[in-house]
Amino acid sequence: MACPYLEYRAAAAEQSFDTERAYCTAVDAFVQPMRADVCNDRYALDHETDCEFYREAEGL
Amino acid sequence: MSYRAFLDGEPAVVTAALTGGVHGKEANPNLPETPEEIGEAAAACREAGASIVHVHARQDNGERSFSTERFQEIDDEIRARAPDLVIQHSTGATGAPDEQRLQPLRTDPAPEMASLDMGPVNRYHHLTSENTRGTVDTLYDEMRERGIKPELELFNGGQVTETYQFLERRDLVDPVHTTLIFGSGSLTRPTPENFLALIHDLPEGATFNTLGFGPHQLPFATMGLLFGGHVRVGLEDNVYYRRGELAESNAQLVERVVDVAETLGRPIATPDEARAVLNLG
Repeated sequence: MACPYLEYRAAAAEQSFDTERAYCTAVDAFVQPMRADVCNDRYALDHETDCEFYREAEGL
Repeated sequence: MSYRAFLDGEPAVVTAALTGGVHGKEANPNLPETPEEIGEAAAACREAGASIVHVHARQDNGERSFSTERFQEIDDEIRARAPDLVIQHSTGATGAPDEQRLQPLRTDPAPEMASLDMGPVNRYHHLTSENTRGTVDTLYDEMRERGIKPELELFNGGQVTETYQFLERRDLVDPVHTTLIFGSGSLTRPTPENFLALIHDLPEGATFNTLGFGPHQLPFATMGLLFGGHVRVGLEDNVYYRRGELAESNAQLVERVVDVAETLGRPIATPDEARAVLNLG
């Protein structure tokens, strides 16, 4: 299951894109594409253990 | 490779790392992500003096793709615009299984080269790109089967040791081609002393690219040129032209390093000269 802080947005603050991209509401920023694999729990990745943004937001 | 090679005027091979698999347009909007953008960037880099393009694939939203079909689309766009470029596919990945990482090797035709990460690299705070010996062997075996020349990416000095062990396990075609990577985190600390130590510790006859991340890109490329090596530049490794100023394009970074080479009197290899230097085909 994807990270609850993940949204897909085409614009935020001063950045805008042609296609919606991974945006982290925990840090209020578009995330690097590689990090989006963690947000989406792809392959063996898991946002609960692998993402410091999630863990800090959850107080883990 | 040595200062002697520089004095002898051996041509330098410039690799342009166009896209990468980590950051995207959120870091620099000029970073090419779609097949068409990558094709255009490759042609501009060819015009600027690059002979090899290092290719990663992305989905439409910028996220990573390992699919053969996406790499095929990219290669088609590159070949339509710059048919003589050497195409080098990335097989790098964090968290993805080997079967995903093999996909970029299965285009038709196969890429002439592909990257082979020689060991682990820490990513963010909780992740590691593992690159186990088993993964290295699996990726290499398919490269060998398909006639693809590996570019051994050495993230730190320990991976020079790994390279010697790898050469005991597998019989590579000469010259062994490496990329020495300098930067922060798991990478070799970017000092001239480390650069000199590593280039003198490579296997006999090996060629090397110099890759400095971020602000180290130009200084380490210059050292590579002076010591008979080859260079890799591009937005994958550095999104800035100078401090606080985003690069306008991959070609802008290629043009700058070609200008340095020309100032130093080091000739730049054409794609066919690069094929001869690296013994491709």
